[in-house]
Amino acid sequence: MGEWMVARRVVIVGGGTAGWMTAAALAKLLPGRCAVHLVESEAIGIVGVGEATLPHIRAFNERLGIDEADFMAATRATFKLGIEFVNWGRIGDSYIHPFGTFGPGGGEVDFHQFWLRLKQQGVAVPDLDLFSMACTMGRMNRFALPSRDSRRLDSTFGYAYQFDATLYAPYLRTIAERMGARRTEGRIVTVHQDGETGDVTSVQLESGEKIEGDLFIDCSGFVSLLLDKTLGEPFEDWSKWLLNDRATAMPCRTAGAVTPYTGVIAMPYGWRWRIPLQHRTGNGYVYSSQFLSDEDAASALIAAVEGEPIAEPRVLRFKAGRRARSWVGNCVGVGLASGFLEPLESTSIYLIQAAITALLELFPEKDISPVDRDEFNRLIDLEYDRIRDFLILHYHATERTDTRYWDYVRTMDIPDSLSEKLELFRRRGRVVKYREGVFLDASWVAVYLGQRVIPKGHDLRADAPSAESLVAGMQKLAAEIQALSGAMEDHGAYLDRYCPMKDAA
Amino acid sequence: MVVLGGGLLGWSAAAALRRKLPALRVTVVTLPPPPDALVERIGSTLPSIIEFHRDIGMSDGDAPLRANCSFRLGTEFQHWDGERPSYVHAYDRYGQPLGTASFHIHWVRQTQLGSAPPFDQYSPAAMMARSGRFILPETDPASPFAHFEYGLALDPQAYPQMMRAYALHLGALERTGGFRGARLDGETGFIAALALDDGQEIKADLFIDCSGPRALLRGALDQDFEDWSQWLPCDRLLLADTAPVAEPSPLDRAIAHGAGWRWVAQSLSRTSHGFAYASSELSDDKAARTLRGHAAADPQAPIALRQGRRPQPWLRNCVALGDAATMVEPLEWTNLHLAHSAIDRMVAMMPDRDCVAVELWDFNRQCAAETTRVRDFLALHYVASKREESLWQRMRDTAPPDSLAHTMRLFSERGRLPFYEDETFARDGWLAVLLGQGVIPRRTDPLIDAVPPAQSEQAMVAMRDGIARLVSTLPTHADFLGNLQRQAAR
Repeated sequence: MGEWMVARRVVIVGGGTAGWMTAAALAKLLPGRCAVHLVESEAIGIVGVGEATLPHIRAFNERLGIDEADFMAATRATFKLGIEFVNWGRIGDSYIHPFGTFGPGGGEVDFHQFWLRLKQQGVAVPDLDLFSMACTMGRMNRFALPSRDSRRLDSTFGYAYQFDATLYAPYLRTIAERMGARRTEGRIVTVHQDGETGDVTSVQLESGEKIEGDLFIDCSGFVSLLLDKTLGEPFEDWSKWLLNDRATAMPCRTAGAVTPYTGVIAMPYGWRWRIPLQHRTGNGYVYSSQFLSDEDAASALIAAVEGEPIAEPRVLRFKAGRRARSWVGNCVGVGLASGFLEPLESTSIYLIQAAITALLELFPEKDISPVDRDEFNRLIDLEYDRIRDFLILHYHATERTDTRYWDYVRTMDIPDSLSEKLELFRRRGRVVKYREGVFLDASWVAVYLGQRVIPKGHDLRADAPSAESLVAGMQKLAAEIQALSGAMEDHGAYLDRYCPMKDAA
Repeated sequence: MVVLGGGLLGWSAAAALRRKLPALRVTVVTLPPPPDALVERIGSTLPSIIEFHRDIGMSDGDAPLRANCSFRLGTEFQHWDGERPSYVHAYDRYGQPLGTASFHIHWVRQTQLGSAPPFDQYSPAAMMARSGRFILPETDPASPFAHFEYGLALDPQAYPQMMRAYALHLGALERTGGFRGARLDGETGFIAALALDDGQEIKADLFIDCSGPRALLRGALDQDFEDWSQWLPCDRLLLADTAPVAEPSPLDRAIAHGAGWRWVAQSLSRTSHGFAYASSELSDDKAARTLRGHAAADPQAPIALRQGRRPQPWLRNCVALGDAATMVEPLEWTNLHLAHSAIDRMVAMMPDRDCVAVELWDFNRQCAAETTRVRDFLALHYVASKREESLWQRMRDTAPPDSLAHTMRLFSERGRLPFYEDETFARDGWLAVLLGQGVIPRRTDPLIDAVPPAQSEQAMVAMRDGIARLVSTLPTHADFLGNLQRQAAR
């Protein structure tokens, strides 16, 4: 038992969102087990991807004891009920991928099966969106916190945040430092390794200072200083399915309403994000350099944004895929150092969180056990693989023929795991069920139907009720959702009251 | 649709089909269940049977009141490890979480620091079962007796009769007349029709095989079989019934033996005794003598048991259910559970006439995931034993299946359980067996540090005392059943 009491020296390489999320979580949740030391250089910029998040982040913040309104004010955050996808199936299409269910949730047969059955019988039914609280509130620009009473309709949605990632890291830094984490400013010039095991023993700064540790967390971003540059862990390249390798980003002033959802607009050679914050709107064009030059991307972005630009477009380069292993020796990659998936479904911060959660549970003692390391890598792989298929679906399920880019993705070979899922949905609207996993049934249904993957049949159990009773029930449900959403406050007004940012930008 | 098999399984499948998919015409071609169809023979069932009944529109009172079923709360395992006391696997929570760490981590730490009373003392249903008492789960979520689940002990005559009557009431059709064979379509390989002894043929779009281990229909398509005998060594089963006792226990007993294990399960209709053993270790005669010695009754002819599964229970237009799909020893009573689960899945995924491969693929994938973990859970009982007879030694020396090896490795390291889809047994069930058989993690989860050991100890004493105090106030199982019948009679 004695060995447990020896605190492990944890060195986090790199600040930014990944670094400070890790530092805050370790310092707060494992105070006796580790001494946290973060090394970052102000000269190295923060990528700051993932301004839009998934609902899971609320659990992370809660574990750290973060007060929601305080955090939202500090990061100039807005609420997010889902993502609006525009021009994906065809130019002119729009659908919302909601955080929440279609219909009242629960029940043996999924709600969309009854809806499909009526459609297939030729009965006129409202769009599926109108049976989702999150979609309806989003379209109406309303917000309220969900009810905790699971019998109520207004408990059937979840929410996340859209926030300024460059402000989230400093916010977490305050927490981490209050809990005893140390920070050293400086650029790392050398990584020292044990001659025998290859484990990293210390990192040396420009100043000559050497920081020793037992466990190293690589949060160095795309540079991947430890996993790639030092340990040479191979990168599994997924760019044949996810071909975007550039993004150009540029904030602008908000012109319209502050929407409680993220906008994702398909473009001729990729897609554009629109993330409304309290003080500005984040924009970016994610594209493939095979098809579009940086200059053309920048001008397309400038032409598309709704308000006055606040900065020059800034280009980021990346490649879709992940390291074969995220935990190698005594180095654990968290965030971009371990892999990258484009932020189409706002998964960047989620993946950071998944790595931290797994690390907390598998935190090593004196010696690192291969069992723990393997399990960590297995968990991270599962997350990446499932998100990968979900992202590829967005590109593959399209009828767009307007550019060579869309021709390629529409006709490319996709992983077997995805073609099986697609075929099952096409036949009778079945979604391959996972009990755990980041995107559950409703997410898949929203994207399939939103992108014109229309099932030929439906679940036969949906034939049991009479058409009249189903139509009447659906009309009542849609009316209730309308009424509940309509009675809610405007999203902007809610933010002004609940969590106004402290000072204007 | 044609269902072949006239036992409780065939009628259960027919009832579910008629209830959920009323547009389908369902005919049951009755066959007397063969003696080696364990789904028909084993009366002890898991809590999922309650949900199955509700799903097909039966009320909770139907099985106990109309089919003479009694309740069961779990199983007591004796002598699986020579040194340790017996342990109970109940379908309930074991302890309550303290701080951010799961309860079992606290238990492990207290054990490492000295000793902690057995793990099952923290499970309300386990303690209720040990004292022979029973109530239904309470609705107040604050009650310690709100979270457990219970199974049923079936009456081997009354229960299939009730299910038959119910399926007929729902509109299923019955066809008698003896089954002669299946006729295949030469081109597609689909089953075209069933031939009956009276010379007639029955055509259908889908054929559901509930005919027992011989799989009279599904077996006509292929004979692929995945053998599990290297991990589940018992290949013989003896059964013997004796008269019911006045106070049937809601707790079955599974007692390990040098050549396998035997059980005693009491219910309203009978006391059933069974002995599962490896024929390499014990002759049928000796096994029969052993069981006779314990049961004071003559066992029936030994049943040959070939444990394993069909990799594709659903092929073309034929679905195998129950023993026709998967055969496992009754340890942990999963036989009917697996069959119910496959019925639910079949109904939920009912494809078109053409039975396209991709739809069957998902059915087979889920069945495989589920049966894999049941196999692992059963094999765990052998792997985690410390008995010294050669059979048990051999089980310890055999490399377990990968997914079980992974589970054991993670658990032995620091008390974590991996997540698998389609798991039959809850985390607490795995913990009850692992900790009950003395698999103690080497280390504890770091998240426990926030709670000092003295505080864990205090909370654990309070949990134990609370349960013990409340259990003594509950009615006995027999009293509970008596009350239920009196209330219904009123």
